[in-house]
Amino acid sequence: MGNQKLYKGSLQTIILKLLETNDKMYGYEITQHVKELTKGELQITEGALYPALHKLEADGLLAVEVAKVGNRLRKYYKLTESGTKETANKLEEMQEFLKTMQHLVNPKFSME
Amino acid sequence: MELSTEQIQELYIFTRKHYVEYYDVQTELVDHLANDIEQISEENPNLSFEQARDTSFKKFGVFGFMDIVESRQKQLGKKYNKILWSIMKEWFTIPKIMITASIFMFFYLLMSLNINIHYLSVLMLILAFIDIFLASKLSKKSKKRFKDNNKKYLLEDIIFKVSAFSSVIIFSNIFNLSAFLRYSESLYTKVFVASLITLAILYSYISLIVIPQKAEELLQETYPEYKFINNL
Repeated sequence: MGNQKLYKGSLQTIILKLLETNDKMYGYEITQHVKELTKGELQITEGALYPALHKLEADGLLAVEVAKVGNRLRKYYKLTESGTKETANKLEEMQEFLKTMQHLVNPKFSME
Repeated sequence: MELSTEQIQELYIFTRKHYVEYYDVQTELVDHLANDIEQISEENPNLSFEQARDTSFKKFGVFGFMDIVESRQKQLGKKYNKILWSIMKEWFTIPKIMITASIFMFFYLLMSLNINIHYLSVLMLILAFIDIFLASKLSKKSKKRFKDNNKKYLLEDIIFKVSAFSSVIIFSNIFNLSAFLRYSESLYTKVFVASLITLAILYSYISLIVIPQKAEELLQETYPEYKFINNL
């Protein structure tokens, strides 16, 4: 497991990106999906995931849906229209960030 | 193996024991725990339901569900303020601004008349009592709602309880403000005090009467499950 602190600031972007590809997801599904995609490298903790989801919902980037699944209720999150726009922005920011880090950490390879 | 309905109910009780009193927050946590417990039991079939539940709960860290409840409180508190603010703005646009201006002028003129300052204090005291009366009525209503449904939603609690109390606090401070006038009778002081009283009256009216009347609509809009749970 890598340094979780490094991922912390990117949690919202990760969630938005996942929802862009998967239409609608519930909290537990997101944690499992991330674990799978990163082969266990990144494990989103419950204590961080839900506050992030709630914040995105409050900011109007996510909408919620509730469905009865078996004998329990499940809350699904999906992107709103402004959420879709914001995802594009955040991903662009992320690319910029990765590029900058690359310049800083590995100057040789970044000579263009 | 899918959890039974009894086990789901037990999980609701479990979240309540861990200081999650709101049904909307409980529901999300119960589904999360249930999914995780099912996964844990699949990997370790020898674990009992309680053992699997405790393993899952540990993943939430030393503070348990507290961070999640707090973040939800913060977000819905913000939502409430947004609603309050948008209604408040109506009172500063035509036609309602006429009423706002009348309230302001009433207090301003009252202060400008050469009457005993105590009259103003008495008037403030009466307003404070009306406020306390309305707030306690709301708080009773909230208790009754909880008794009827046995479910408390976080936004519902903010609408019926938290805001009512903040209105009472504001009014008790406004009451102290009228003492301010004993020391200064300048135009600015009067305008300042009359503006604050006007704002406090608007705030109380909106938080104690307007928003509670819209409670059902706001709850349905915030919680997709609200409607069909109450029809079950």
